[in-house]
Amino acid sequence: MTINYKTVPSVCPYCGCGCGVYFEVMDGEVVGTMPRMSHPVNEGSLCIKGWNIHEFITSKKRLTDPLIRKDGSLKAVEWDEAIQHTASELKRIKEQYGPSSIGVLCSAKCTNEENYLLMKFTRAVLGTNSIDHCARL
Amino acid sequence: MQRLRNIQPKLSWDTVIYEDMAEIEKTSSVNGFEPKIIGFLCNWCSYAGADLAGGSRKSYPTNVLPIRVMCSGRVSSHHVIKAFQMGADGVLVTGCHLGECHYMKGNYMAAKRVPVIQELLGFIGIEPERLRLEWVAASEGERFASVVTEFSEKIRAMGPSPFRKSE
Amino acid sequence: MQELKDKVTQALKEQTLDGLLCLKSSGGYILPCIVTSDNIADLDSMVIGDERYPIATILSAIVAKQPGKTIGVVVRGCEEKAIIELIKSNQVDANRIVQYGVACSKERAQLCSCEVPYPSEILAGTKVEGVSDNQLLSKIEAMPSKDRLSFWMDQLGKCIKCYGCRNICPVCFCEDCAMEHDDLVPTGLVPPSIPSFHLIKAIHMAGKCIDCGFCEQVCPMNIPIRTIYRKMGLVMKEVFDYEPGLSIDERSPLGELEKGLEAVAEK
Repeated sequence: MTINYKTVPSVCPYCGCGCGVYFEVMDGEVVGTMPRMSHPVNEGSLCIKGWNIHEFITSKKRLTDPLIRKDGSLKAVEWDEAIQHTASELKRIKEQYGPSSIGVLCSAKCTNEENYLLMKFTRAVLGTNSIDHCARL
Repeated sequence: MQRLRNIQPKLSWDTVIYEDMAEIEKTSSVNGFEPKIIGFLCNWCSYAGADLAGGSRKSYPTNVLPIRVMCSGRVSSHHVIKAFQMGADGVLVTGCHLGECHYMKGNYMAAKRVPVIQELLGFIGIEPERLRLEWVAASEGERFASVVTEFSEKIRAMGPSPFRKSE
Repeated sequence: MQELKDKVTQALKEQTLDGLLCLKSSGGYILPCIVTSDNIADLDSMVIGDERYPIATILSAIVAKQPGKTIGVVVRGCEEKAIIELIKSNQVDANRIVQYGVACSKERAQLCSCEVPYPSEILAGTKVEGVSDNQLLSKIEAMPSKDRLSFWMDQLGKCIKCYGCRNICPVCFCEDCAMEHDDLVPTGLVPPSIPSFHLIKAIHMAGKCIDCGFCEQVCPMNIPIRTIYRKMGLVMKEVFDYEPGLSIDERSPLGELEKGLEAVAEK
């Protein structure tokens, strides 16, 4: 059986920096991460999250389906149901407690466009200016 | 490819030594600076020598926290580095005389290791004299007392370690 | 370079080699790859590369994961030393690798401050003079103790505990790493205890560090950590007349009981 090893250039998914990495792929599985030495953003350095990308991208703990809490425990549902549930609940909370009762956290893992959309949604649709970043957590 | 590394590795027997060393963080100083020295005493020669010093009612300062190890070679660079990080003003490593080690050549490992650690400490800016290696036999109670006295005075003259936690 | 490529093509055809670990240029990237008889065309894009990657680390992992296979590897001067150290520590089976030496360019030697930018046998590249840069080391040795300490506390205090220096180091291979042990380095504490975090690795580097410079290259905070490891190398040379990475037969006195006894025998 031939040796099946290659390195694939990519970008770290974690924060807004976007450090260049090479993933080491052995027999179709991501087994290692190393920094791209000449990438303009990181120039060969990585933070601890960047060094361990190969561990979290294949982690069993990652979310694969939307989950809704039913009868005290989280259950996997379809996307349509999840979106419908989110919309109706946000609407209910806004009517019952007022728009200022809702806060929103955006993320560096989202694209600039997604964060912009979230900001517009928060201000125009929900009617609150309580939007901040997940790093505040 | 990164090496396989275990999460939260257990270097188990060392945990006991670190717990013993943690005593140094508890003692509080009275009336100015009292040196806090961690002493690693080898079980067969040095600890017995210290016992003899006590048994013969030899008087010596109480600045050394004695930690019994089976051999001076058991003292790892990690223990010394951690001792200084914890705020110890000095570290004393004592063992059997060369050629008399209970485990034949364990003390040679200490003899090789300590000068290298001293050079590292000196390079970082921690006085290498704060780490000392001495050979004390089981019959040398008086020598043990004089080593501790002399080392404590030396450390007292050098002043507190820069890593001492303020009380 | 052609001589090297021909040798490898020959070996792959004759099946004396199952694969070659080297750097290739592809789509504007320089990256490590393994050339096998299935993708032998990749040899055309092989480069010595002005970028350095941890080839020795990758080699030890591949050799371990591919039992029974013979892996060729294109090595620079530093990588050859790293492989010698790894063979000494039983991390690479010497019988399962074939080394093809290449010399680094003058620019690369400059960037790495490399004193020996070529391996023992050169199949490609031209041998250039090494570069010696001990400015910082001399400057620190000239400082009084107090200034040294404040210099190092400042520099080491920048650490963000990324473990880059440990991950990229070709000779750091322990599964149970002391830098991750809770008693020595409490989990979740950032910045780590200064200076013990760095001193732990530094004392391990005594007798092992081959001065490849990867640690400093990869540090996001530009901590001059290589200088400390260089000092350890000088200490080992002075006290024990031992230099790592030169020969498989020379063992570190700190790692072997019987070595280095004369240096510490009672005067």
